[in-house]
Amino acid sequence: MKLPQGRLVRRRVVSDPGTALSNALETELTGYARLESQDALLLDADGVGVLTFEDGVPVVAYHTGTDSGGRDALADIAVAGPYRLELYELAADVLADVHTTRELRVPPETPAERLASDPTLAERTREVAPDGRCDGATTKTDDEPSAVEAFLDDEEKIATIQERARAEAEERAAEWDF
Amino acid sequence: MVEAFAVASGKGGTGKTTSTLALGMALSERYDVTVIDADTGMANVLFHAGLADVETTLHDVLAGDEPATAAVYERFGMDVVPCGTSLDGFEDADPTRLRDVVADLAADTDVILLDSAAALGSKAAVLPVVLADRVVVVLQPTIPSLSDGLKVQEYAATYDTDVAGMVFNRVTDDENIDTIAAKAERYFDGETLATVPESDSVRAARRAGKPLLAHAPDSAAAAAYRQAAATLDVHAGDSAAVADRFRSAVVPADR
Repeated sequence: MKLPQGRLVRRRVVSDPGTALSNALETELTGYARLESQDALLLDADGVGVLTFEDGVPVVAYHTGTDSGGRDALADIAVAGPYRLELYELAADVLADVHTTRELRVPPETPAERLASDPTLAERTREVAPDGRCDGATTKTDDEPSAVEAFLDDEEKIATIQERARAEAEERAAEWDF
Repeated sequence: MVEAFAVASGKGGTGKTTSTLALGMALSERYDVTVIDADTGMANVLFHAGLADVETTLHDVLAGDEPATAAVYERFGMDVVPCGTSLDGFEDADPTRLRDVVADLAADTDVILLDSAAALGSKAAVLPVVLADRVVVVLQPTIPSLSDGLKVQEYAATYDTDVAGMVFNRVTDDENIDTIAAKAERYFDGETLATVPESDSVRAARRAGKPLLAHAPDSAAAAAYRQAAATLDVHAGDSAAVADRFRSAVVPADR
């Protein structure tokens, strides 16, 4: 997914990715959020999570480290915090092409549910989302496990987190002389 | 006889301090409990235990100005050692003295709860996990929190500190918590001690400067913490041996 850089409107380090969503919603951002992990534990240390917005409402999600899009990208972004968050403003027509890519699209409220576990923010987002915005998004069926359950079912991903944490802990223990 | 627990989460906002004091109060019905605010950079216990105005805190002890006993306050049936919030206090404090504080207080208590720093990014923050016998991991049923909890467990294992169990905190109705807890237990070495519902009582207790179990003892959240304390099987070790272990723990030279 390629986007022009746009105009930087906000930059800060955040531990909660929900901050990106609430900032975008409050400022009715049309543009994108770039979430870069500040933690060596990240599954793909070079990966960056990108979420685009139209009038403050999330449209697509992408993760550059795992090359995942849509709901899968949200799961990859969720394990990566704390983050350096940057919000960029872009013209709506620049985003049009990306926004029609079905496999990248997410329902408006899903990032708030998945990244922030914030039902209130999800509800607020759903309220301001234009009618029909869910069309074409990669949607969830009722019997599908929640994102947290899917995460816990992914033994490979958890083994990777454990291995990286162990390596980091051992490296630091040696460095700190514990 | 004493066992020391680090209450840790790897992430802020999970309700670690609330959990530490709630577990402490519930355990104090069966044990002599000492709660130490080991989050020396972002102290919180004092606000939760009505100790915001006290003269002497752990900062003074870590600065070498006061003995450990001078920062102990009997509140809500526990011995509470609050930490101060001033930047000067933090800068003057030598975190390595924490092991001596814990060793001194270990002689006279059954259970020590160390409220730990949110992130594991510094030596001082990891110290409680290094010193403790076991860790209680406070989790929210979210991907970031679970992933940070797994990280805490790996850090603990590196220092031969076991996991005593997990507290799932701030659980909302729409989360399928029983399924999530069962799935999480496959990866954690401890059992689920309790699932604590998200509750307005927790915020009200914090505003009132009281632990949850003192402010809202009949709330569902308080009941969950009492269940966690009942499930927690305290292995009280020999006090002298524990004190020796704290004193001999290799300590960081700087923050």
